[in-house]
Amino acid sequence: MPGETLAVRLPSLTTPDTPKREGAATSEHDVRLARACADGNQDVFAELYRAHSDRMKSIAYNHLGNVSDAEDAIQETFLKIHRAANTYTGEAAFSTWIYRILVNTCYDHLRKRQRRIQETPIDDFITSDRAGSGVDDVKRMALRRMLDELPEQRRSVFTLFEIEGMSHAEIGKILDITEGNSKWILFATKKHLQEQWKTAQ
Amino acid sequence: MNIQCNELDNLLMEGDAFSMEIAQRHARECAACAEKLASWNDISGTARGMQARWQNDMLWPRISRSMQREQPRMRNWIWQVAAALVLVAGLGGVFWKTNQMNHDPLLTIAAIDQVETAERQHTAAIRNLEKLAGTRLDDPSTPLLVSYKEKLMLLDDAIAECQSAIDHNRANAQVRKQLLAIYSEKQRTLQDVLREDNRVSHQ
Repeated sequence: MPGETLAVRLPSLTTPDTPKREGAATSEHDVRLARACADGNQDVFAELYRAHSDRMKSIAYNHLGNVSDAEDAIQETFLKIHRAANTYTGEAAFSTWIYRILVNTCYDHLRKRQRRIQETPIDDFITSDRAGSGVDDVKRMALRRMLDELPEQRRSVFTLFEIEGMSHAEIGKILDITEGNSKWILFATKKHLQEQWKTAQ
Repeated sequence: MNIQCNELDNLLMEGDAFSMEIAQRHARECAACAEKLASWNDISGTARGMQARWQNDMLWPRISRSMQREQPRMRNWIWQVAAALVLVAGLGGVFWKTNQMNHDPLLTIAAIDQVETAERQHTAAIRNLEKLAGTRLDDPSTPLLVSYKEKLMLLDDAIAECQSAIDHNRANAQVRKQLLAIYSEKQRTLQDVLREDNRVSHQ
């Protein structure tokens, strides 16, 4: 896709270029955040948006393949957080809980449209500050097409680990699988992609 | 640490820095594994450049508006549930109270006693009426008085049957209503007997 360009700015609270692979920890702060969300505190929601929207956009985009659907999924995720915040028990970090809701919302969207992926997923206003990274746009587009063909869970594990730089521990919590399972799924997915990669090159 | 080619996959699955370093070292001396490792790393490198970021200043206001629109609905929903609970609790209370009253043995006995007292007064009044009409019916002078006599005999049989049923179940309200209706009919018939006797004696 000729229009594909990449990340505008480095996220302040999300993934750095070199992933840290750290699992988010639960804290008292998370529980207070959840309570405030349950009360409908708009300031807290605004803060959550500031802290997580970059990564949420990326996760949603890499699941749904276009900006419009990604933004719809993010909006729906915030509504779900609002409705369900009082059910948050602190078993995982609040951010992990948010990403879990987001990924499930993306799955819902994918099922609704029955894997109808738009042919022009990247909007013109997505720009890149990674021009100097040496990674070729053609490769990214090829990989994106391959990801679109993957089953939901494999796409999620690959996206969260390889693109978003999350740890297997956090991915396990988000997708409700074990850490070992996440590791195995990533390996199997990359082996599968590797075969296609050779052909594509 | 030296590894065999067939161990490369295990290292790739582990994927941590130490495992990848060992794989890299092996690849320097093995062309086939070097090729595998290169494409493996190429995928990871490409993926790292796939973070999608864009600026849309309208997104947060849109989300915020949708949440604010939903808040009154959520509040309404809470009130609706609360109102429904209060209604159910109220109806339940009324039902329970009614049920208690209906099943209170003291109240049931008192009600039956009241009905039986009224019945006794009613039957005593009818018996007085019967005494007055009795002499006329012993020797009926007209065909109408004969038929009244037969009707009264049938009513007495019906009264006896109802009385027997009530002896088995004092609280049987249905039989008591039937008995009352029969007594009323007997009362009207005895009054008709007296009127007919008056009419005959005046002729």
